[in-house]
Amino acid sequence: MEIKFTLNGKEAVVVCEPSLRFIDLLREKLSLTGTKEGCGVGECGACTVIMNGVAVNSCLVLASQVVGSEVLTIEGIANGEELHLLQKNFLQAGAVQCGFCTPGMVLSSYALLQENSNPSEEEIKDAIAGNLCRCTGYKQILDAVKQTAKELNPSAKL
Amino acid sequence: MIDLKCEVLTPNSLAEALQYLANNNEYTKILAGGTDVIVGKTQGSKRFIDSNVLVDINRISEIRGIEENDCSISIGAATTLGEICNNKIVGEKLPLLKKAASMVGSQQIRNRATIAGNFVNNAPCADTVPALLVYDTSIEIKSHNSERIISLQEFLKGPYQTQLQKEELVTRIIISQKEQNYFGEFYKLGRRRAVAISRLTLAVLIALKEKQILDIKIASGAVTPIGTRFPKLEEFAKGKIMTDVLCKNIAKKMGEEVLGVTGLRWSSAYKLPVVQQMFYQLLKGIER
Ligand code: FES
Ligand code: FES
Repeated sequence: MEIKFTLNGKEAVVVCEPSLRFIDLLREKLSLTGTKEGCGVGECGACTVIMNGVAVNSCLVLASQVVGSEVLTIEGIANGEELHLLQKNFLQAGAVQCGFCTPGMVLSSYALLQENSNPSEEEIKDAIAGNLCRCTGYKQILDAVKQTAKELNPSAKL
Repeated sequence: MIDLKCEVLTPNSLAEALQYLANNNEYTKILAGGTDVIVGKTQGSKRFIDSNVLVDINRISEIRGIEENDCSISIGAATTLGEICNNKIVGEKLPLLKKAASMVGSQQIRNRATIAGNFVNNAPCADTVPALLVYDTSIEIKSHNSERIISLQEFLKGPYQTQLQKEELVTRIIISQKEQNYFGEFYKLGRRRAVAISRLTLAVLIALKEKQILDIKIASGAVTPIGTRFPKLEEFAKGKIMTDVLCKNIAKKMGEEVLGVTGLRWSSAYKLPVVQQMFYQLLKGIER
């Protein structure tokens, strides 16, 4: 089956089985390995991508379901060589250790900030509740997202 | 690389989907959010192992979205829980449903999982069920040559069993608007606070005049084998004046009723007082 969709702002066409998981399409067919697979059952969020504006687990989406949609993966977040504000703040806050959870964390936070550029701490926690991190203890990640919100929004609550 | 190795049919209209289901055999499964079906397939769960045709209902606009008219609110079966959480009508008119939906899984799960998907398997732990039950929810079910509307309670036959026939699809969830003003609460207990499978869910709606209980609706999930209402208890409470003693009394009876349904289990020593205490807290919250 021909899978046509918009990926990181550009048209993508992949020929594969319709029942292939989307994460495999990204990693194996397109070699976009920024999207990680942790659990494969929707619990860890390492495979998070943004599909039609909302964060989803790409291990729970089939290739056929992506047809016609707009997808943003971690590879599409930076502006060329210039890192996205979230990425800069993750580095600044020490929110990246092994880095396995980072693409998912960044994308979940990105989806939140698109919707709500002035989130409360609870709203940030809720947005990343589906993303597990084995390294940081989450504090640095929260700090990075808060800092980004502050920079986006000088009158931020946090 | 994981390929579910099945055919995926993606109908664009309800008629087309119902036609697929009419030609359906036992190997056909409906795919909505995929948070159950795709996991089930990749994990080799018995419920899905034999299915080799998936009918993906995500592109059918007739069964998505939330509408309101004078007498009811109608929610398309394939509306995601995320859409439900963000919807204004639901926020204003169905706060318990909003709360229950917002406690399902994670943001990513809620952005895929659908409202009908939450109850079509009739898993006891489906979070939205007690909330839907206290709102006296009905569901619309269609097949290529039939259409019926039944109450959700009737639909939920037994654990993991429903009234749904092979060729049928749940198309809408219908909640009629009440004249009376109800106040309510929803409570979920899981093993941890976020992204947890429920051990106990409770929902209650009360219409009060001064302190008198004009009407009350009570439902539980997870702790009972299927989501269920408590008609005897509701009858008992109706018409009474809401006092602290009454709240305690209702909560105590609630525990007994739950025990009556589940029988005594190893976990009863823990669950019974938790049910009673939590239900008491819910009632007190509404009383205030
Ligand atoms: S790999 Fe998709 S949620 Fe863990
Ligand atoms: S940095 Fe290692 S899992 Fe989060």
